[in-house]
Amino acid sequence: MVLDAPSVQRLVEAFRRLPGIGKRTAERLALHVLTAPADEAVLLSESVKEARAAITTCSRCGNLTDINPCAICSDDRRDAKTLCIVERPAGAMAIEKGGTYKGRYHVLHGVLNPLEGIGPSELRLDRLYKRIQDEGVREVIVATNATAEGEATAMYLSGQLDGDDVKVTRIAHGVPMGGGLEFADDATLTHALQGRRSV
Amino acid sequence: MHLRRLQCDGFRCLKAIDFSPGDGLTFLRGKNAQGKTSVLESILYAATSKSHRTNTERDLVGKDGDGFRIAVDTQGLERSVKLEAFWRQGIKRFKVNGVALERVSDILGHVSIILFSPEDTALVRGGASVRRAFMDMELSQLSPVYLNALQDYRKALRQRNELLRQPRVSRDLLEAWDPQLARAGSELITQRAAYLEELSELAQEAYRTLSDGEALRAAYKPDVEPGEDLDDLFRQSADNDIRRRQTTRGPHRDDITLTIEGQPARSHGSQGQQKTAALCLRLADLELVKRRNGEYPVLMLDEVFSELDAERVRRLFEYIDPEVQCIVTTTETNPAWNPTGRHATQFLMEAGQLRPI
Ligand SMILES: [Zn+2]
Repeated sequence: MVLDAPSVQRLVEAFRRLPGIGKRTAERLALHVLTAPADEAVLLSESVKEARAAITTCSRCGNLTDINPCAICSDDRRDAKTLCIVERPAGAMAIEKGGTYKGRYHVLHGVLNPLEGIGPSELRLDRLYKRIQDEGVREVIVATNATAEGEATAMYLSGQLDGDDVKVTRIAHGVPMGGGLEFADDATLTHALQGRRSV
Repeated sequence: MHLRRLQCDGFRCLKAIDFSPGDGLTFLRGKNAQGKTSVLESILYAATSKSHRTNTERDLVGKDGDGFRIAVDTQGLERSVKLEAFWRQGIKRFKVNGVALERVSDILGHVSIILFSPEDTALVRGGASVRRAFMDMELSQLSPVYLNALQDYRKALRQRNELLRQPRVSRDLLEAWDPQLARAGSELITQRAAYLEELSELAQEAYRTLSDGEALRAAYKPDVEPGEDLDDLFRQSADNDIRRRQTTRGPHRDDITLTIEGQPARSHGSQGQQKTAALCLRLADLELVKRRNGEYPVLMLDEVFSELDAERVRRLFEYIDPEVQCIVTTTETNPAWNPTGRHATQFLMEAGQLRPI
């Protein structure tokens, strides 16, 4: 069977590593790529390569960007005194889509998770603290997900940052429990941002 | 709630089983090691995703097999439920009325089954973890809020304990886990206290009936008293936690104290008293579920005749409400033997096969 060929197996495996893709879907995608016109397959592989080469993480906020610093970090009209902390780029994207948030972002690329060996240094929190000081941030909104780890991270950051100079708030969670920001609809997110509370 | 039909395949030593018990009392007769207990175990597994004899699904697979499949049809007052459990080479799947469950733990609460087995003596003689597991299992079936709190608590506790195992522990990092641990923990304590208060009263009544007036008391023994501020407590015990490298206080250290005639059942009870006490906890749970859900669970009694003397058996079947569907195993294969005084539907189990007699 064609699915047993080593090159095809590698392709199926590559699709399987994508989020939300099971074995059956991976096989279907692989068969699609193999039966589609040759230039379609080339287009796919070239686009993956090019996008990957063009996009880096912003040296200030950690978000994905094609220019460095990213468009949001270099936009003077954005409120530099307000910083929203998210787990992943998808979280920043979801809030951005809501269109009401005017501050800047900081992407942690993870949350505290002792069992997986992720602590403050893995999240490079010293960089976050330095940034808050350097840029004179006054309000930090913690928008980590409503998971056990996301809650603990919010609690920890609030303990580290909240004080006279900086006010720390937690995004209000109409966002479903255990769910990421990227699964919340725009109205929920806007509401969550408005309803933020101090931790 | 009534069990209408059990079908299973590949489970333990059982041949393909298709079993439809009676509405009232059903006898599963058969010599030892013919598979009677496995029939009950398969029903319990389909309803709870847990076996009372092992934590490893591999053990539930028949010799030479690589998996098993169980289907259980039940009829409740308001709805009928079909449960399907499937396990093959480490892959576990549960369905309720044909719909696959995202999390296996979502199986809890759909079908209510109570099993009394010889292993239950551990409720009296075993360590605190056995009694905590009993509370957790029963409350998780009664209350989705409890099940959620239990999962949250365990998750945060594992993370906090992992931090405590690290060579240098930061107090700030440790405290980051306390609020959610406290929130979930308080829910567990509140619900356990209410459950035990109700259970104790019912167990006392059952024990009085079965043992001719003796007094059994089952009291909640919380590590942290209900109403105490858990968040504060975690902070206060942090130094000790760091020294001991584990979370030393909290509802994960709760217990139930059992006393018979004022004496600790664990150390002072006779074997007969201990078995009866364990049975009475199950019977109390039967009544408690009836109170909360409005209908009786299915009651399964494994080897109850060899566990109790004739007089207690007679009183037991006076105690059990005739409304309860009750499946009872016995090694007595003579169909005429019936010490319960009730009509029974009868099956004979031989070499993993079940047939009506
Ligand atoms: Zn940026």
